[in-house]
Amino acid sequence: MAQPDPEAAAKAEFAAPKTRSTTDQIILSIIQVWAGVFLAILILVFVISIPLVSGSSVSFLTVRNSQNILVAITPILLLGLGQTFVIISGGIDLSVGWVMSFASVISALALREAYNAGLALPLAVVVGFGTAVIGSGFVGFLNGVIIAKLKVPPFIVTLGMSFIVRGAALLMSENTTVIGLPRGVRDYGNESLLYFIRGEGGGFYFFTKPEISGEMLRRMDRIISYPVLVTVIVVAISIFVLRRTKFGRHTYAIGGNREAAVRAGVPVDRHIIKLYMLSAATAGIAGFLSMLRFTAGSAVIGDPLLLSSIAAVIIGGVSLFGGSGSLVGTVIGSLIIAVLTTGLVMLNVQSFWQFIVVGAVVILAVLIDQSRDMIKNKIETR
Amino acid sequence: MRKLTKLGAVAALTVALSSGAALSQEMDGITIGFLPGVVDPFYQVMELGVNAAAAELGITVITQIPPTWGVEVQTPILDAMVARGDIDYLVIAPTDKDQMVGPLQNALEAGIKIITVDTFLGDGDYADGPVTFPLSYIGSDNVEGGRISARGLAKAIGGEGKVYINSTNPNVSSVEGRAIGFNEVMDNEYPDIEVIGLDFNLDDMNTAVQQTAATLERVPDLAGVFGTNVFSAQGAGTAVVNAGLGGAVQVVAYDATKFAIEQLREGVVSLVLAQKPFDMGYLAVSFAAADAAGVTSLPVRVETGFAIIDIDNVDDPEVARFIYQVPE
Repeated sequence: MAQPDPEAAAKAEFAAPKTRSTTDQIILSIIQVWAGVFLAILILVFVISIPLVSGSSVSFLTVRNSQNILVAITPILLLGLGQTFVIISGGIDLSVGWVMSFASVISALALREAYNAGLALPLAVVVGFGTAVIGSGFVGFLNGVIIAKLKVPPFIVTLGMSFIVRGAALLMSENTTVIGLPRGVRDYGNESLLYFIRGEGGGFYFFTKPEISGEMLRRMDRIISYPVLVTVIVVAISIFVLRRTKFGRHTYAIGGNREAAVRAGVPVDRHIIKLYMLSAATAGIAGFLSMLRFTAGSAVIGDPLLLSSIAAVIIGGVSLFGGSGSLVGTVIGSLIIAVLTTGLVMLNVQSFWQFIVVGAVVILAVLIDQSRDMIKNKIETR
Repeated sequence: MRKLTKLGAVAALTVALSSGAALSQEMDGITIGFLPGVVDPFYQVMELGVNAAAAELGITVITQIPPTWGVEVQTPILDAMVARGDIDYLVIAPTDKDQMVGPLQNALEAGIKIITVDTFLGDGDYADGPVTFPLSYIGSDNVEGGRISARGLAKAIGGEGKVYINSTNPNVSSVEGRAIGFNEVMDNEYPDIEVIGLDFNLDDMNTAVQQTAATLERVPDLAGVFGTNVFSAQGAGTAVVNAGLGGAVQVVAYDATKFAIEQLREGVVSLVLAQKPFDMGYLAVSFAAADAAGVTSLPVRVETGFAIIDIDNVDDPEVARFIYQVPE
């Protein structure tokens, strides 16, 4: 069977033209990874400035700091992940923050009930996970059906859905916070794959937390905590799906030119429904992980994260008009936001200035991204 | 959930029967409107106090709880309650000390007497302040709560060391007052304690963890954290425990929700400051009843005070009764 047009078009996005001068090639490869370069510069600035400002004993490049930042990006990244698919397809999902809260509440309730009904804790956690993914996936299904079949703009559908989901989460969480989760849940959300104890009597420990206390506990770093591990797995699968599968190619095709995609035989409506289900499901995983981490289901936990997650996607170079972008960009975008927060606190920058700096960096990042497109077009049309 | 459904049913019923109900109530006694700030455990406990006093005194209560905090949300509900025409007294937690003056003046002109709980109008001095029309203010001052939190934390860390504040938003008067009182006491009473910073997590627990973790990197000898609400404290406490500093760095949480107490037992937070919302609600309704009965000497301001809960006294019934117990 011949390759349909839109898929070829989507592939052409990545395919480099044959003839090009060396300088052009260097410029192109730099702007290709510009977000990474930006992140590296940001880290460098903090590595140099923090010891100068906060004393020579304070260092930005520590194992613990790297782990703190990784943990901090998990919710932003998971919300941004599904959002990346949706935005590439030319849509937007404004309900992810509230879906995360909703998932946090329903997974807490399910976990608690399952445990109280006599299920072992690991199984109860699995029940919580399943509830989060299925429950939020259902919300995404509703979003998708209304958008694809009833042709209501995604902006309006997902905004309306966010109110519905928020109300549902508040109704179901007794008093906005679901508490009374079994002891031990905290470990799932906060313990890690690897432990490293610095200094005397230290070393690496795998899977089980070493039996230590007092002063040694302070020297212990948790490396790759479980929420980070889950996020890494989800991110890896998503990158594969977007880059290497028909699902991914269809996503680019719909965002690039919906009409052409329809004519080429892409099942556009069904694909859009799947995309919103995916977006809601990754938000659901974020809600589930935060429930484990804070040992409570919260009907408000995801609200503040919506804008950060969209910012991460945009900083990462995904076009709000659809058709282009990558998940690696979203990962780097999330990292830039988290590195900024941690770095500015370590620099002891007054909190009001932190807002200004974060806002300025977001705008700067998008500006650079736009000029990247200009340069790229110029070189490629030469 | 059951509670909200019940509220909905009551609301529907009152609308359906409004004319008939209004008539019979006028003969039985007074009707009180209760309009707290937002749906949360603090105000739900206050509602219990309101209902308890109303049941004892044979008073009808109409309760409306705004889904979110804010003048834009509270005012339409207030106007609707005034429009009913059957409310004699309004027990309200104004969501803004200046912006709610106008809407409440309208209520006053419609013949409703106002009692403010938890939050106040103007500067809270209804005798000589800029706003004098409410009958009384019953609550616990946030600045004073900040002061008491500071003394509690200072005692827990032995009167010396570095402390840090994690707060929600810069434009919210309640948490702002708590931070002001906290700083004031640390500056004036504890020369050996240094407040090394204040960050806003914008109501995001995840950010609270990240900020506190970064602060622990910057200030490894940090002795204490003041979380200006339960979620800030929970986020800060999570960072502290994950850094292996549980017990070594003391974390104070404002408001004794059951979640805060659960975190106290888990060792994530070390001190919990309890307000007395039940007493606020109970007193407000009692004041309304007394005023209706012709009592003229009611105090214009009542401070209900605080209790400090730690792991040693959390099971003492004298202290445990201040935990915000909300029926599920």
